[in-house]
Amino acid sequence: MKKLNRRSFLKGGLAGGAAIAAVGASKQAVAGTHNFGGYPDSMGVLVDLTKCVGCRTCEAACNKEQDLPEPDKAFDDPSVFEERREGGLPRRTTEKAYTVVQKYDVPGREHPLFRKVQCNHCNEPACLTSCFVNAYKKTPEGAVIYDKTVCVGCRTCMVACPFYIPAYSYSSAINPVVKKCIMCYDTRLKFGRPPACVEACPQEVMTFGKRKDLLKLAHQRISDKPDAYVDHVYGENEVGGTAWMYLSDVPFDKIGYDTHLGTQPIISYVKEFLGMVPMVLTIWPALFTGFHLLSNRKDALKNDDNKS
Amino acid sequence: MGGRKKTLLGMAALMLLTAPLAAQSWAAEGPGTVELGSLANHYSAVTFDHAMHTGVAASCAECHHHTTGLAPIDPNCARCHKAGDKANRVACKSCHSDKRFSAEDLAKIEGNPLLHHKGKLGLKGAYHQKCLGCHTAMGGPTGCQDCHTRNDKGDAFFHSGKYTPAPKASAEHGGGH
Amino acid sequence: MNSLKSQGFAPVVSDLKKDGSEWTVKEKIMLGLSPKEYWAVQLRNPFNWVLWAIYAIGLPILVGRFIFGLGWVTHSSYDYPWGLFLGWGLFTMVPLSASGFMMGTTVELFGRKDFKSIERLGLLNGLLGYTFAVMFLQVDLGQPWRLIYPMFVSLGPAAVLFLVAWHVATYLTCQVAELVPAFSEWMGFPKAKKFIKSIVLGLTIAGIILSTLHQGALGALFTYAPGKVHPLWYSSPFQWLHFFVSAVFAGLSMLIVVSTLTKWFMRWRCDENYLNNLSKLTLGLAKGASMALITYLVIKIIGIAHDNNWAYLLTGWGAWFMFEMVVGVILPLIFYTMAVRNSNASLARFAAILAVFGIALNRLNTALIAFNWQLYREIPHWRELVIVFTVYATYIVVYRAVLARMPILYTWKEKK
Ligand code: SF4
Ligand code: SF4
Ligand code: SF4
Repeated sequence: MKKLNRRSFLKGGLAGGAAIAAVGASKQAVAGTHNFGGYPDSMGVLVDLTKCVGCRTCEAACNKEQDLPEPDKAFDDPSVFEERREGGLPRRTTEKAYTVVQKYDVPGREHPLFRKVQCNHCNEPACLTSCFVNAYKKTPEGAVIYDKTVCVGCRTCMVACPFYIPAYSYSSAINPVVKKCIMCYDTRLKFGRPPACVEACPQEVMTFGKRKDLLKLAHQRISDKPDAYVDHVYGENEVGGTAWMYLSDVPFDKIGYDTHLGTQPIISYVKEFLGMVPMVLTIWPALFTGFHLLSNRKDALKNDDNKS
Repeated sequence: MGGRKKTLLGMAALMLLTAPLAAQSWAAEGPGTVELGSLANHYSAVTFDHAMHTGVAASCAECHHHTTGLAPIDPNCARCHKAGDKANRVACKSCHSDKRFSAEDLAKIEGNPLLHHKGKLGLKGAYHQKCLGCHTAMGGPTGCQDCHTRNDKGDAFFHSGKYTPAPKASAEHGGGH
Repeated sequence: MNSLKSQGFAPVVSDLKKDGSEWTVKEKIMLGLSPKEYWAVQLRNPFNWVLWAIYAIGLPILVGRFIFGLGWVTHSSYDYPWGLFLGWGLFTMVPLSASGFMMGTTVELFGRKDFKSIERLGLLNGLLGYTFAVMFLQVDLGQPWRLIYPMFVSLGPAAVLFLVAWHVATYLTCQVAELVPAFSEWMGFPKAKKFIKSIVLGLTIAGIILSTLHQGALGALFTYAPGKVHPLWYSSPFQWLHFFVSAVFAGLSMLIVVSTLTKWFMRWRCDENYLNNLSKLTLGLAKGASMALITYLVIKIIGIAHDNNWAYLLTGWGAWFMFEMVVGVILPLIFYTMAVRNSNASLARFAAILAVFGIALNRLNTALIAFNWQLYREIPHWRELVIVFTVYATYIVVYRAVLARMPILYTWKEKK
């Protein structure tokens, strides 16, 4: 509840900032205040990385479910694991692939570890809070979805997402929009069904359920088999918690996860500025009018001096 | 005996074509072969040589978590299912649902307060984790098509076989980085 | 043109020709030259040759960007969603255009009428800089025709960019209004000028508020990426302040640079008043800039101390950061101070060039070079660079065209 108050406050402040420009717009803006994250019964997915075999069935399932364009290579072609993008980095999500599986050869581990990457559906999504047309929405079911009919293409969400998830259809000249995993909201989640990738995975690497249950489950799995996992549920607290969470037997920083993200939602890094906005709006006019009067008084006095 | 087994097997195979279920041909000492068809949509069913695997495994429990009538070895299961109905059955699907993602099952799991049931694998996951887990450790075959051949629908799904995308002339663009 | 003037050519300075008849608008546009003379002058100017060369290559590519999409002119990077269009066009152009609100404040609010002869140049520098920042934004946006969406179609009022969009739009309007007097004199609509005069105080105060907020907001945009921008260029609590304060000296320095250029290349268009006062005004601006610079230096250090980022100074990034600070902040600060003390306008001009360079480097560092510092460096596509040159060339062309015509560098002689 506390969070909500802070949000509404900040929102009000910014809306006020706009209000000096257009009163009409700000009314709508305030009315647009909606709930962020924290839905008690939101769903999530627990990904047990120790179980993934890198078959990429999930990628194929996502491609089909989301009606994505033909991939560059077959989904059973293991050579994609060796592909490197700029900087020697493994494949990432693109406009043509909302999820990708990466392979990590971990020293000391007998077999490579495979990691499925897609949107983590944050509780307080950075993409959502940074979007200036309010295209994003966190649904009560837990998915972070977006309205591509309003996307202007400023790509701030891509800058803001700490997980480098949203992609952009640069290839389109007429209707380029942001592109990312929507947790199969339209076709499945909305109806209570698990995402296509979850269902397709032969290994059932992913468990679909209420986020709060999955968290308990995750911790129980760790305590049941303390040797099989590192004691960290990635996504439990990262940037305020995410709907997709991960278990691994290898420390997360060794397999491409950013473990320095902290537990604060990204918006909390912006709050100093957002909090300052209403102050500037209220104090500046008075302050500068004052300056003006003062300096003019000096002029007036001078004129008087000259006259006398 | 052999003839009867064959008939049963044939029937089972027929069933598999219509429904993605697991069917077993029983014999007193356990099934000789089992048809596993939970991915029948994209793959032909697996003919599982049960007899051969019994020879390899030290005990039934190695795969089945318990032997008929005995308590399961997983303490989480054993807590409640030491004896009784579940303990008396060893067929995989008597615990691992073959409709793990059906609305009905999802509701059942959602309504079940027990954590272990929420995380319990469906039949497909159970097979794959067991088989691949052991095959990986023992050096058995692990490729998808080592066990089940993919059908045409599967090829289309994976954009493989005759559906393989034509190699791109230039890899320069298209979101290289 | 300078040589033309030395041959006795008298540029347009009032509604009336020497013989007492009125200039037509067309003649005013032609700078009071006959068409033949006008084009001859254009052809003679070697700087125009450079511009034509840029356009010859750049225009087709600019058109291509809208036909083939951003993927054709950039590397389509998902990791670096923002490239040069914003790194240079928005994040650098906007602070360099902060001169508008500062000259307005100095003259209209603080009553420093002595800055009057450079006020209009400051306002114009602001207006054009912002206009072209929006142009750059339009080149960069995936769907430029949706630019009004954040205004009227779908509002995201809790986003920093929402504030930037609104404020830049409103501020542009403000700046247009502030320059209406110059335009109305030139066109001969005295009423418009009178009206603006009556609201100039309101416009100026609005300008200060809007500028404080959106200059700061451009910095705050990067606070969305705490892990991506290198800690030396990132400070969650101070980023907006860093951007705002640096915009102050950026705008002033840019004004010094531009005024120097006008003094050299557009001398024919400057009147005595402007030329005679310029050195003095340059030093006045230098004084303001040096105060902003010292403030900036202090809050930069506070920023590092606050997050305890000292250790980074010893890394390669630290060296790069120190380079930026020394060349772009400390040296200009020293030179400005010396210039003010010794009344040496040339030194102030040199300091201004350094400061402008420093700001560009700082913004490009934040947006591109030290962005994703843990990943890899993105080298922009050559077409991206060509487009930046083309749009910036257009900025210069428009700038020069306005300066050559409207009473910015000279005072309009009113009809009696
Ligand atoms: S389908 Fe499952 S096992 Fe296969 S790559 Fe995806 S997550 Fe891993
Ligand atoms: S992972 Fe990125 S894209 Fe997905 S919800 Fe979080 S911030 Fe948004
Ligand atoms: S949840 Fe749906 S959209 Fe997201 S990766 Fe899985 S299949 Fe694709």
